[in-house]
Amino acid sequence: MWRDAALVAGKDLRIEARSKVALSQVAPFGIVALGLFAFALGPARAPMVSGAPGLFWVAVLFSTVLAIQRSVSVESADGARDGLRLSGLDPAGLFLGKALAVAAQLVVLELVLTVGVVLLYGAAVKTVWLIAAACLLGTVGLAAAGTLYGALSAGIRVRETLLPFLLLPVVTPILLAGTRIWQAGLAGGTPSDATPWLHLLLAFDAVYLAVGVVVYGPIQEAT
Amino acid sequence: MSYVNAGYAIVLGILFLYGLNLLWRRRRLTRTVARVADSRPGPGGSEPAPLPAARPAAEVG
Amino acid sequence: MTSTVVTERSDDRRRGDGADPARTGGPRNGPPALSRGTVLATRVVGVAAVVGVAFTVWLGLWVTPPDKVQGNLVRLVYIHPGVAWVALYLAFGLAAVASLLYLWPRTRSLFWDRLAAAAVEVGVVFNVCTLISGSIWGRPTWGVWWAWDARLTSTAALLVLFLGYMALRRVPAEPEVRAKRSAFAALFAALDVPIVHFSVVWWKTLHQGATVLNANLSPTIHGSMAWTLLLGFVALTLVFVWMLLVRYRIGVLEDWVGSGELDLALRERQAEGIAPPTASAVVLPGPPVPSETPAGREVPREIAEVAQ
Repeated sequence: MWRDAALVAGKDLRIEARSKVALSQVAPFGIVALGLFAFALGPARAPMVSGAPGLFWVAVLFSTVLAIQRSVSVESADGARDGLRLSGLDPAGLFLGKALAVAAQLVVLELVLTVGVVLLYGAAVKTVWLIAAACLLGTVGLAAAGTLYGALSAGIRVRETLLPFLLLPVVTPILLAGTRIWQAGLAGGTPSDATPWLHLLLAFDAVYLAVGVVVYGPIQEAT
Repeated sequence: MSYVNAGYAIVLGILFLYGLNLLWRRRRLTRTVARVADSRPGPGGSEPAPLPAARPAAEVG
Repeated sequence: MTSTVVTERSDDRRRGDGADPARTGGPRNGPPALSRGTVLATRVVGVAAVVGVAFTVWLGLWVTPPDKVQGNLVRLVYIHPGVAWVALYLAFGLAAVASLLYLWPRTRSLFWDRLAAAAVEVGVVFNVCTLISGSIWGRPTWGVWWAWDARLTSTAALLVLFLGYMALRRVPAEPEVRAKRSAFAALFAALDVPIVHFSVVWWKTLHQGATVLNANLSPTIHGSMAWTLLLGFVALTLVFVWMLLVRYRIGVLEDWVGSGELDLALRERQAEGIAPPTASAVVLPGPPVPSETPAGREVPREIAEVAQ
């Protein structure tokens, strides 16, 4: 399973390296989103700074939808999905591989957006490990849930409008938790403020990774 | 109108209207069923039964 | 009125493909059977529901006294928890369990899929009622129409998940594909709802500390008020059951008609080829168009055009 996962992740990342879609389109979209928020809340700094954690995570969530759409669409051309089905790859490995590739792109995106938030909103990162933990754990959850819903909507023509509507409500716990942890990280608060939220992210990740590994195969067969 | 009366009216109104909607859909469908069943082909030359008024086209995904 | 077409149930089984008897295959098999028992049961439940609701309204609005604390607002308590219980537990729970039963190979049957779909649609209606009644109760109590209270927010989240399920279900597909997709969507929603609920509760309470908005009912409720509350629960549950039965029947008919109409359209087209075209335009209802699977399920273009 892990070998197949590495294979699939490598394939997706190689496609990204060549097409550079995430780098040239998704990340800039995230920055644009930050700019839109600034216009919506500004020009005074105060609302931006206090809203920075939430706005960061909303931008991440929207960018995740784009990343997942991209992850699904690299396969829907030319019957590649059938090819994958027939290839004998372990579906659990396929799931993990795709999720891994999406997660890698999201991590890079979050790095960019963090810098953006610091520069554009004047947010000051006090407790780095909290910020990093939130981003990493949140990313895993977003990638897992996103890959699942991407598979569910893979064969559908209205996927562009359906996927956001399906995925975003499901990942609101990540938004809530990520925002809270970031608030603690920016304010230099005690980690105990953030601990329950870290646990929530861990639980979310565990649930969606486990479910994905189990049901990805049946979903592929059905759609 | 008090909040309470408004609440009762709205909630029960919604349920009532939805109930009517269900009954209407069921009636329309049983009629269509009868029509489609009637027009099952005999050996070659049967007239299909007249169709019901156009229903909204099923959404094309 | 209710369908008067009653055919042998064995018609469905005689198709011999060993498949799920709940699969309605099209005009070959004849319309789906509707037993007299089901018709009777539906009527009885319907009448009981209407009577129950009428009684609840009478008791709730006139007979019972106003509450010491809440005054007349307590009257909303006779219906709000009732619709909430139906939407959040009964409908959702039923949809989740039915979806699981569909996914489990040994119990797989389109019956469970259609039951889940019916439960979700009726659940959406009750969910909206829950939010509205809760909001109306909240306005004079908290001063705002919406309080981002943990319960209201979780209910709204469930509504959105339900609507997502319905949107997914509207995508044209073979019944089995649609069933599996919907079942997975329901499963994911079921997994997500507890997580969302906890996170929203923590969101409200961990931030504010001990000052939790008291969205709960007064703990002691007795006498005629307790009975009315109970009656409200029962009556609204009966309403749900009636709606579920009718909506399930609608689902069965829709699936049958969907496949039947395509055949009908095909025959129309063929008949046109023999006879001269008539002046009056025949407006045909659109059949479901298969989803974009590369496995060759595309309907030939002309037929799809005629069928539009």
